[in-house]
Amino acid sequence: MAGVGFRRWAQLLSKRKASGIPALISGCRAASGVSKDILPGPYPKTPEERAAAAKKYNLRVDDYHPYPDNGEGYGDYPMLADRSQHERDPWYQWDHPDLRRNWGEPMHWHFDMFIRNRVDTSPSPVSWSSMCKQLFGYIGFMLFMFYVGGVYASYQPVAPKQYPYNNLHLERGGDPEKQPEEVKHYEI
Amino acid sequence: MGAHLGRRYITERDTEPDPAKKSPFDPEFGFPDRKEREMVATQEQMNLAQLPVEQRDYCAHYLLKLMKCKRDNWPNFLACKHERHDWDYCEHQDYVMRMKEYERERRLQLRKKRIEAQAI
Repeated sequence: MAGVGFRRWAQLLSKRKASGIPALISGCRAASGVSKDILPGPYPKTPEERAAAAKKYNLRVDDYHPYPDNGEGYGDYPMLADRSQHERDPWYQWDHPDLRRNWGEPMHWHFDMFIRNRVDTSPSPVSWSSMCKQLFGYIGFMLFMFYVGGVYASYQPVAPKQYPYNNLHLERGGDPEKQPEEVKHYEI
Repeated sequence: MGAHLGRRYITERDTEPDPAKKSPFDPEFGFPDRKEREMVATQEQMNLAQLPVEQRDYCAHYLLKLMKCKRDNWPNFLACKHERHDWDYCEHQDYVMRMKEYERERRLQLRKKRIEAQAI
């Protein structure tokens, strides 16, 4: 309504054929308004339907691949590569820099998963097998070395510490009735 | 610093003493008369002070003196230097005695090996 001036509105009203409330509301709407022709539809069966669906999603007909029609409910939505937004060029001037997406570009079905805060499908710098070898090699080596350290223990070249009262027989919970074995310590 | 480990595991595997095992030699051997270690603090005193088991050694009487000094002089935490030094010195001497015992054991083992080698 604000898009039309009052005078123009009055002129338009006089020209309209309809009556009632629909006659008063102007035909202009915001760009975010949704009409049925841009929403996803049923699975395309004929080539014309495929072409129309490709055009709807801003895809070339050769690039448009809908999901298989097996009752999962995707309809004519295109099946795009499972690549997250991390893999897109960070230096290109995207329309939406945070989402790394241009206006009108077809969105992946799991677009909300592939944003830069979430799942990242970018390739690792080193291959998976190499990473596995390095990690398990290191862990295995450390376990082996700790085992060797247990077998060949390291200690200071001193005799064990000497405790009085028959190696603290009572203090260590020994039976008060039982006579402990006599332990003598000498100075050196 | 690790020479004894090299001896124990590589070069002199049969003579280097194992601290975990009891010494097979007579403690009086080689000494004309050997003085016994004297324990000054009694078991009752150590129990009353609630000393942990590891600290009930032959230096416990110095530790008890130190604890009394600290309790009497709190909050002056710099007051008990003399008592602390006495306890530390006693512990140091105890450690040196342990080192000497180890060395004695080692020399006795070497001597035993020499005698056996001569007997052959």
